[in-house]
Amino acid sequence: MGLLSDPSLSTHNKLVDNLAKHMRKVCYAFYTAGVIWFMCLALPEFNHGTYLSENALSPGLVYPEIRIDANRLAVQLLEELQRERKDHQSTTPHAWILAKFKEFGLETHTHNYTLRYPFGGGKEFHGKNVYGILRAPRIGSTEGIVFSAPYRAPSSVHVDITSSVPLLLAFADFARRKNYWAKDLIFLVTEQEQLGMQAWLEAYHEGDRDPDSTNSYLLAGNLPARAGSLQAALNIEVQDFEIDYIDVKIEGLNGKLPNLDMFNLVQRIMAREGVTSGYKQTPRKKRRSSLSNYEQNLRQILAMLSTQSSGVPNGNHGLFHRYRIDALTISAAKRVTNSNVKANPSSAAVPLLKAIEGIARSLNNLLERFHQSFFFYVIVHNDRYISIGDYMPALVALAACSVIKAYLTWSTLEATQKSDDANPKTETASGLESIKLSLPYGSVLIYLAAALFIGYMGNVLPLHQYILELPVSAAPLTASILIALNVLGFGLPFVVVLPPGALELLHISLLLIYGCALIVIGLLNFSLGFFVAVLTTPMVIALNTKSSANSTLRSLTRVWTLLLNPLVVIYIIVLIMSFYQFPELTLQQLLLRAATAAMDASTFALIDSVIYGNWLYFAICTVFLPLWIICWTLALAKRRDSAIPQAKLKIN
Amino acid sequence: MTTALAFLLLLLFTPLAPLALAQIHQSQYHTDEQFHEELVVRPLAGDHVNTYFQFTTRWHYGNRNNLYHTQLTPRVIAEILQTYDVKELHIGLTQGLWRYETWGYPIVEATGGAELWAWFSSPNLTSEDVDKQWMRLANVFSGVLCASLNFVDNTNSIAPKHIFRPQFMHLGNQSQQFVRYSTLPREIVCTENLTPWKKLLPCGSASGLATLLNSGYVHNTKYHSLGVKVRTLCDSSDPDNCIVELTQTANLVYDLKLLEQSSTDFSLRRLFGMGLNGYCELATSSNIYVQRNEQGERFQLVPQPQHELTSTVGGYTVLYGVYDIQQLFAGPGARLFNIAWVGAKGNSNREQTLPPPLYAHRYLLGNGQKRGRIATEVTNTHYEPLPVVLMELVPWYVHAYLHTLRLRSKPQHLHECSAKMLKFQLLHYAPGKQRELPTHLEIGFVLPAQSSALITIEVDYLLLKWLEYPPDANHGHYIGAAVISSQLPIGRNYTALPLEGHLFKDSFNASRATYLLTLRTEALIVSLPTPDFSMPYNVICLACTVVALAFGPIHSVATKLIIVERQTTMPRNLLRKLFHKLTNRAGKRSTDVVGDQPLKRKPDGEPEAKVEEVKQQPDQAESNQSCDKQASM
Repeated sequence: MGLLSDPSLSTHNKLVDNLAKHMRKVCYAFYTAGVIWFMCLALPEFNHGTYLSENALSPGLVYPEIRIDANRLAVQLLEELQRERKDHQSTTPHAWILAKFKEFGLETHTHNYTLRYPFGGGKEFHGKNVYGILRAPRIGSTEGIVFSAPYRAPSSVHVDITSSVPLLLAFADFARRKNYWAKDLIFLVTEQEQLGMQAWLEAYHEGDRDPDSTNSYLLAGNLPARAGSLQAALNIEVQDFEIDYIDVKIEGLNGKLPNLDMFNLVQRIMAREGVTSGYKQTPRKKRRSSLSNYEQNLRQILAMLSTQSSGVPNGNHGLFHRYRIDALTISAAKRVTNSNVKANPSSAAVPLLKAIEGIARSLNNLLERFHQSFFFYVIVHNDRYISIGDYMPALVALAACSVIKAYLTWSTLEATQKSDDANPKTETASGLESIKLSLPYGSVLIYLAAALFIGYMGNVLPLHQYILELPVSAAPLTASILIALNVLGFGLPFVVVLPPGALELLHISLLLIYGCALIVIGLLNFSLGFFVAVLTTPMVIALNTKSSANSTLRSLTRVWTLLLNPLVVIYIIVLIMSFYQFPELTLQQLLLRAATAAMDASTFALIDSVIYGNWLYFAICTVFLPLWIICWTLALAKRRDSAIPQAKLKIN
Repeated sequence: MTTALAFLLLLLFTPLAPLALAQIHQSQYHTDEQFHEELVVRPLAGDHVNTYFQFTTRWHYGNRNNLYHTQLTPRVIAEILQTYDVKELHIGLTQGLWRYETWGYPIVEATGGAELWAWFSSPNLTSEDVDKQWMRLANVFSGVLCASLNFVDNTNSIAPKHIFRPQFMHLGNQSQQFVRYSTLPREIVCTENLTPWKKLLPCGSASGLATLLNSGYVHNTKYHSLGVKVRTLCDSSDPDNCIVELTQTANLVYDLKLLEQSSTDFSLRRLFGMGLNGYCELATSSNIYVQRNEQGERFQLVPQPQHELTSTVGGYTVLYGVYDIQQLFAGPGARLFNIAWVGAKGNSNREQTLPPPLYAHRYLLGNGQKRGRIATEVTNTHYEPLPVVLMELVPWYVHAYLHTLRLRSKPQHLHECSAKMLKFQLLHYAPGKQRELPTHLEIGFVLPAQSSALITIEVDYLLLKWLEYPPDANHGHYIGAAVISSQLPIGRNYTALPLEGHLFKDSFNASRATYLLTLRTEALIVSLPTPDFSMPYNVICLACTVVALAFGPIHSVATKLIIVERQTTMPRNLLRKLFHKLTNRAGKRSTDVVGDQPLKRKPDGEPEAKVEEVKQQPDQAESNQSCDKQASM
């Protein structure tokens, strides 16, 4: 048979020919199959119940020992802290926290960091984290667990979570008097939201970095004390001791998730202590909605994917994932006053403290790092999940469209060339080969490189020294650079007209690169890959370079392509979001507000990428924008006069 | 350069005072044996209490043949001296980490897990002999102490060059001395080590201070370290005049907050679960030393010590209260003795203790399972520069690169590294070898006053063979502690025994020009790239095998031409077919028949360039109408 070496084996056999005739139908069938598969995932038959894979965790094996006196201490500490807060309107009462840690007998340290903000003339911001280490009696500081609580000053725009620090301190005091700890416990109070946490983690893992390296924006410094390799982390955000429910936040940087075991552990312990807890938990009133189970599940999936897709962590826990430390946030919402269930204020925090103790003891039991269970999953319901093996087929089906189309286009390439030619019958197989060989690979490569270069500039230009020195603030600067690059990409096909055959080749390479990009991005961050695939795959299928195509269809495709420009997509997303957030605005106000918000969004994405290492901005600039430029070129389908290719062919 | 040399000389040549020898000459050629038991209680900062037990057996055995007749010294010790050329031996079994910054320096140093080092000396001893003896010695003590010391072999042992100095008295020239060092940081120390350790004592755990060492209480501490130290002292002129010293130490640190009742006071009974029931009858002396100043000032002692003594070492004075147990139990009758430390109520002022002159920390930097950096931070709080020697033992599964070794200094209290580099005064590097040798690195430098040095070296993590992963592979692999040595000019926080002494009381008023200090840092856990060893992993392994097996046939199918030929000579009629077969078989027995006119399937009527010779095989011809042949193109 000689599959590889037989030159006589034609790539266009009957099956391929037939398929090629129905290429678009086949592709759309795959697309629909992928989307339907995804919708099916919400059905209980397609997802599984959660279970604890790591036996060492054994949640709830021990009786909680934390008692009401810890609650009393927490209440007392909260009162003290409230008094301190009156003097610290926009700063953190470091001294008070330090004093408390020392009083409880922890090894206490502070960590200073500096942010060199690159935009707007280069400002410097300083911050300070406070942490206390409980040195475990059973280990020589080789492993540690982090319990962190963000501190927000009264002037902060975010929800007040003052109670987290007293709760953390109360637990620290309890834990200090126990001798069963087999991992050092680090109690960490960070400020300035995620920046403080990022600085602390960077100092912990990259403490020897030289401060005067030019390319660093966050100068994290070094930590005076450490606790070995960190195994897990729990971030606590508590609005009040009297809690209504607990929302467990898991989405981390670049859509990474903690091990499913950790999420299950928290759920089990919370259930044991009788605390209402769940993933994307909402207040009780909303929970009693009459949605069917399927619809609820689908909403939950979509909610999770949309949070994950931006790659921005929704809590301080998200930054741990980068260092392979499994972490999540338990965010406790305040109880609304008119609730029927009235708890005794003197013991309000006890269930939460017991839950934290239970989680801590389970984590303490861990002999190995979290490695069982799943790191890639989608949570359908609090106790149901979809594993990577179940959700990947949906994305693969979508990506398969472009690969199939690429194959079919490639295999019908000579056929189209032949039909262009006058005498197809006499053309031999070797002649067909030479048509393939004579395709303008070089110019297509150059074109691809040019598109990539335009995209890559989006990464480099906004942070270039000359541009940073311009007296423009960050948002308009970044936005104008991005718009300029997009315009450049928009204009590229008008300026550069490709040689004959190049358009087809470009089409095939686009399809292949697009398919690969989808799979890679989908593996790293499923939600982003899937959303991009759902949005763009129909357009990519519809693209047609044949000159004989319907002209109305062609112009429709062009409009479609224009709509899918990354900037336009971002603007539309922001527009929809602001429409839901501010329904009172008029259309004109809304459009304007969305424009500024989109500008801000692009700047934040850029800052996220340089400080936190979020690659969304990079992916958009370096992957999506070049792909879009090529799509746009193909949608325009500008070709040279057909007289030239024929002449060229004859020479060949 | 001169300073460097001076400090090297200081480190290398120890003045072993002739004090020990003087004793030897006093009682020539007759064996005498003494046993001493001592307990030191030192309250430490941060509600911690250090209790240090030292049991010393000193046997002037004289002639080597006398080693067969042991009395107080355990037989195993005497036997190893007979069998091996070991002259000095240190074993430490430790759980926890000594916190230098708050607790000062311990009396005896030890690193977490098991640590073992020994000096060998004998005429005509070669390095290969020592390697063999070293492994056998480790195996012996593996049995004696029920520890995993049998895992000590050449893949985790090194021969330190500068950091350790012999504490024994050698007979001949110095080149005949060999030292081996190894740590097992993963070793977990428990009751099973304490019991055999106590069995080495003359009185066992029946009476004396050793009765206080109850496993339920000993292992409830923040730090506990069992130590065995053996050394021989021989007259350099007379090889038949020798002393063997066996020192067994138990160093414990209690956290008063972890004891059940109030954290202000404590007693022997609360620390050890019971009072003292007497002294070991075989002991020459049984003393309890209680530190009265510094952190000990807070406490009232009940009963009061029999007498007090002050010890000034290097300008640093310590006040000890002494209880002589043999005096206390002089009268007849069984009773229990208890000492209570009663703290003043309500004083919670926690003055920050000064950190000791030199301390060190070690940590792992970098993320990911491919590479990282081992960082060791040594801090000098003294107002003078200190010479420092640091030894790293990096196991073979971690590749260290010498060219990435950096030594940077920064002022104390500033947590950012400056680019200021320090100079190495000394550098010894023996590269590791996969699965055979660990990397051995020793560096010496002068640490400026009031500053700290950060030593980093980049490492690559190796992907192990699948059988080399230990159970619980995702726990990570250990890198043992670094050993740091220095000469302190002052005696602050310094309590170690002087070289020529063998009892704790020998350290009183033992002022010297410099004090040799050895520190241990934290051990590290690295997560090497680890397969998940789960069902999917096995599936992947299996799938890879299947792919590997399938590759050959698929490759040959894909690259070779299959020619289909029809057996035209086969008739269609059933009867004739049978006849044909019979004749065919008969004919084949005699000669190989070459198939006539093999019908080749020529793709698309393309002219075939080559005509293949296809041989017919006898077995296929009889059953098949057509047979497939493979012929390579």
